[in-house]
Amino acid sequence: MVKLNINSVDCFYGSVKVLESIVFSVEGGEFVGILGPNGSGKTTLLKTIGRILKPRVGTILLDDIDVYIMRAMEVAKNIAVVPQDTSVAFDFTALDLVLMGRNPHIGFFETETEKDLAISKKSMELTNIWNLADRKVSELSGGEKQRVIIARALAQEPKLLLLDEPTSHLDINYQIEMMDLLKELCKKKGLIILAVFHDFNLAARYCDSAILLSKGRVAAIGSLDAVLNKENIQKIFHVNAIVKQHPLTNSLYVVPLSTSKPGTMRPKALTVHVVCGGGTGVSLIRTLSEHNYRLTTGVLNVLDSDYDVVCTLGIPVVSEAPFSAITEEAYKANLNKIDNAKAVVLSNTPFGYGNLKNLEGVKASLEKGITTIVVDETPIQERDFTGGKARALYMELKDKGAIFVKNCDQVLSILKTLESKTGK
Amino acid sequence: MITWNMRHKSGEKDYFERFARWKMIIIFLVLALMLTITFAVTIGPKQIPPLDAWRIIVKNIPFLGNLVGDGSSGVEYSVNQSIVLQIRLPRIIAATIVGVALAVAGVVLQGLLRNPMADPYVIGISSGAALGASIVIGLGIGFSFLGIDAIQLMAFIGGLITVFVVYNIARTGPKVPMLTVLLAGIAITSFLSAIISFIMITLGESLHALVFWLFGSFTLSSWDNVAVAMPVIIIGLIVIVIFARQLNIMLLGDDQAQQLGVDIEKLKKIMLIVASLITAAAVSISGIIGFIGLIIPHIARILVGPDHRILVPSSALAGAIILVLCDTAARTIMEPVELPVGVFTAFFGVPFFLYLLRKKKSLIM
Ligand SMILES: Nc1ncnc2c1ncn2[C@@H]1O[C@H](COP(=O)(O)OP(=O)(O)OP(=O)(O)O)[C@@H](O)[C@H]1O
Ligand SMILES: [Mg+2]
Repeated sequence: MVKLNINSVDCFYGSVKVLESIVFSVEGGEFVGILGPNGSGKTTLLKTIGRILKPRVGTILLDDIDVYIMRAMEVAKNIAVVPQDTSVAFDFTALDLVLMGRNPHIGFFETETEKDLAISKKSMELTNIWNLADRKVSELSGGEKQRVIIARALAQEPKLLLLDEPTSHLDINYQIEMMDLLKELCKKKGLIILAVFHDFNLAARYCDSAILLSKGRVAAIGSLDAVLNKENIQKIFHVNAIVKQHPLTNSLYVVPLSTSKPGTMRPKALTVHVVCGGGTGVSLIRTLSEHNYRLTTGVLNVLDSDYDVVCTLGIPVVSEAPFSAITEEAYKANLNKIDNAKAVVLSNTPFGYGNLKNLEGVKASLEKGITTIVVDETPIQERDFTGGKARALYMELKDKGAIFVKNCDQVLSILKTLESKTGK
Repeated sequence: MITWNMRHKSGEKDYFERFARWKMIIIFLVLALMLTITFAVTIGPKQIPPLDAWRIIVKNIPFLGNLVGDGSSGVEYSVNQSIVLQIRLPRIIAATIVGVALAVAGVVLQGLLRNPMADPYVIGISSGAALGASIVIGLGIGFSFLGIDAIQLMAFIGGLITVFVVYNIARTGPKVPMLTVLLAGIAITSFLSAIISFIMITLGESLHALVFWLFGSFTLSSWDNVAVAMPVIIIGLIVIVIFARQLNIMLLGDDQAQQLGVDIEKLKKIMLIVASLITAAAVSISGIIGFIGLIIPHIARILVGPDHRILVPSSALAGAIILVLCDTAARTIMEPVELPVGVFTAFFGVPFFLYLLRKKKSLIM
């Protein structure tokens, strides 16, 4: 079985070091995703392995032979590359271009044979472009071109396939079709596939393992669980994300929430306490955290969808056991947080007996003179499941001077004026 | 207007038919070239009947000559014989091989540089050759070495030295970035042009000879010239045809070509050497003839497509045909005054090219 070893490779463009101490090895039949932010060195890594950019330190061994001592012909028989940028601006037909993939297998004084044509046809059928065989490549769409280039790589019959964002121009149907095809080839023919992805979910669904690059170094390597976790995504991409197992595909999926650039927190940001529940707080919390308010929340039941979001964003929360009514203890803790806040925001939450105490908490904050904002999108009678108790409390809030608004933007503007007042 | 690269339906069956089509194109162009040569031999101050012309030519080819009957062997015939063999034919053959060389070198350089504006002179050969020639003319050297005269020799050497310098300026380590080759070529050309201008001012009465050489002309072509340049050009052509498939792949760019198994640096080196040699050989017999090396490749590309396996031979034949026609025009139109052939290559070549360009709308490359 084919084997690829990358032995502590350092790569430079001129005097700039772009890859540092890269070490890993892959065996035939493995589909490896290469992930990392823009400029982290993914393309460079593929170039180095593909014998385009010689590493200054370290070796690339394919079946224990250094690719840089192999001849170009020999390398091309073993390694095929689908580059990131597939602009092809001349008049060759798609078939001509795919046949060029046969070049390493054609002798110097020979031309292509029936067999080469048959192999090219096969790979064009696999990538669904045989009907484009006679079209000029320069006149194909971005996705069609990308499939032509992939077909060319397949026609090369390599043992190692390097793909740089192979699905970037493909529609969702072809993305899946192409990935299924690659995966199948990988398993059936024992190919090694190294593919760069920006789409975590695609990578998670198809790759056996992944390499996460950051600033030219391997930040994480191994199974997808080990590489694609919340901490790594936060650390390397500065994005808060939810990472979960998808119930249907059983692979990981990643939902990015917001960027979290370090150091953008304003030193004098207001502390705002958000009272929410049942998913009504998601957009509010996201907006406020994007505007860098210091947030606290409570009381939320564990498993509430708002709770997930709050945890993902790392916001302090007073929590209660799943599906239980708010206990006295949690209520007290919540009041504590409210005391430390400069403003309290109540989201458009429905009320039942279980969370009625949250409404009382808001009332308490109002009585302490804390600015209290109520997002009132749906009339209270439609979300009152306490037979009028919630409605009565709600009316009380109105009487005692809570500020009623219709949406998040209004909340923001009120907080902004409050901030400028307290700032002075 | 015939276009040969008609769109094909359902590639597979037709793919190998293209080789048959290519053969037809080449046979057609070879016949056209024979016809052109016949035409060129017959016209001039003295008209020679085409059959006579061919009889004279064939009779002088070893072995084949015995097969033709003697025909009329009067005084008329022997006068015609010396006109054909001593005056017209060497000139026509010179134009043929120069046309081949320039067109093919143009194809190669446009492909290697991936630049449709490239021509055989862009890497400095013309200016180097011109400098060589102007030194010879300026110093009034008149020697002859193995039948090669001083101008031819110095033009050849000057051209090659210049390319060598350009190549080494552009080279960074083992790699030769073609864009740098292009820029270095342009820079060196300007530099040498300045020197040539300076020489021209100091030339005095021999200025005319240099100017005529610079415009390009076959007036002085002899069998000796042809005998030296022809092997270089034929061998060069063969080498380029052998590398045609690799040249196709080269159009994808250095990285992709390398990943498809082309040893790009070796290919670039061989192609630059061959293109330089054949261009220098051409320039050494005819001076600097413009437009052929730029426009013939484009015309051929429009007619037969971008595949170098057909592009190279058809450019070679088309270059030969056009240059023979232009030279015939140059020597006959204002008889007995000779015009520089470069005037005609531009005069006929450019409008024809523009016509195709408009018809095709998109320039191929
Ligand atoms: N030819 C080059 N010369 C100099 N520096 C380069 C060159 N190509 C890339 N770089 C630099 O090397 C670093 C890594 O580039 P690389 O192309 O490998 O990134 P990448 O991970 O593929 O990014 P992307 O996700 O945007 O494709 C970047 O900082 C880039 O600016
Ligand atoms: Mg990249």
